[in-house]
Amino acid sequence: MKWLQSREQRELVEQIKDSRLRLYRLAFAWCHDAGLADDLAQETLTRGLSRLDQLRDSARLMGWLFAILNRCWIDHLRGRREDFDDEMLAELPSDLPGPDSHVERQETVSRVRTAIAALPLGQRQVVTLVDLEDFSYAEVAEILAIPIGTVMSRLCRARASLKELLLEPPVAQRHLRSVK
Amino acid sequence: MNQPRDFSDERLNAFVDNQLGVQECDEILAAIANDADLGQRLCALRSAKELVRHAYGNVPPARHRLDRRLPVWCGALAASITLIVGVLAGWLGHQATATAEAPGAATSWAGRVFAAEPGRILIHLDSSQSEQMDAALDLAEAYLAKASDARIEIIANHRGLELLRVDTTPYAERIAGLKAQHARVGFVACGQTIARLQGVGVDVELVPETTVARTAIEHVAERVQQGWTYLKI
Repeated sequence: MKWLQSREQRELVEQIKDSRLRLYRLAFAWCHDAGLADDLAQETLTRGLSRLDQLRDSARLMGWLFAILNRCWIDHLRGRREDFDDEMLAELPSDLPGPDSHVERQETVSRVRTAIAALPLGQRQVVTLVDLEDFSYAEVAEILAIPIGTVMSRLCRARASLKELLLEPPVAQRHLRSVK
Repeated sequence: MNQPRDFSDERLNAFVDNQLGVQECDEILAAIANDADLGQRLCALRSAKELVRHAYGNVPPARHRLDRRLPVWCGALAASITLIVGVLAGWLGHQATATAEAPGAATSWAGRVFAAEPGRILIHLDSSQSEQMDAALDLAEAYLAKASDARIEIIANHRGLELLRVDTTPYAERIAGLKAQHARVGFVACGQTIARLQGVGVDVELVPETTVARTAIEHVAERVQQGWTYLKI
């Protein structure tokens, strides 16, 4: 039994350590600031380790950690402006440094990151949790503490914006085609 | 001839994200065969999804910040000591379950896995605010005053490393005195923070009582694994 407990401990600690890159990647997708993303990931791990008693099911570790990351991110934004409520946060347009400030050689990557950075925060969070982390809508709703219907509508709007920005030709080109 | 069905964007997104049941999936798949526009809408949604994945397949390496900290930490830490109750609560929960495992008792899985043992305390400092440094040392001294055979470690990272740097610490004598009185007290510096400082040309000299861990988080995780009680200042 001691061996079992030790193995469980090792596994959980390894999972927590391994989660750092995933937390960092998602935080980076939210803020596009490598330094801030690393701080958020670090703070998430610190809070996570400190609140292990709240983790009811080891299988839900990542969702639990991402929910903590969300709180860290919101706390950070609140620290920048004190008059925000959750609804305003969700609709918060991006004023964070865009990916253009980073060295990006791949044009597509840069364009997509620019488009993501332009999304309101709530949409940015939902689309990255679904697309990067493969969470179900129900899991995203739990992580962000919002109704599942809100997850779906935000995702819908996010994808519509991305589609328009990335997949459809610019308006001028569309007009030229229609003239032809 | 059947009229094309009008599927909402929300439903098509759910299809792309594999969130629909078998029957709903079948309906959409059947409709695609007779509706080129529907196929294009789905293709666009899937492309948008793939683009997002592609954009963050390789993220830039973490760049640690020297000059700014998350405002949340400044605010949250103003409340002096944040007692990290996780493992401690786990230990208490463990004690409780040992005596009475009541049906439905809310003892966490992690609480059962990590049973902290009394007498081994890890204190984590990541702030250079003098009140926080004071609090860390006060806590160590207070605990040792009650249990002189306890093992105490103070792990410092980020700005908290200033506690252990010769050129920045206001508490070199206090640290030396604590170590002289209690052999089981340890001061641990985060190797990652040291490397980061050295990377920008800072000469890091630590007080002689200090040992260096590879990273603070790994050290905390290992101590938690070993059953230490973890306290965040």
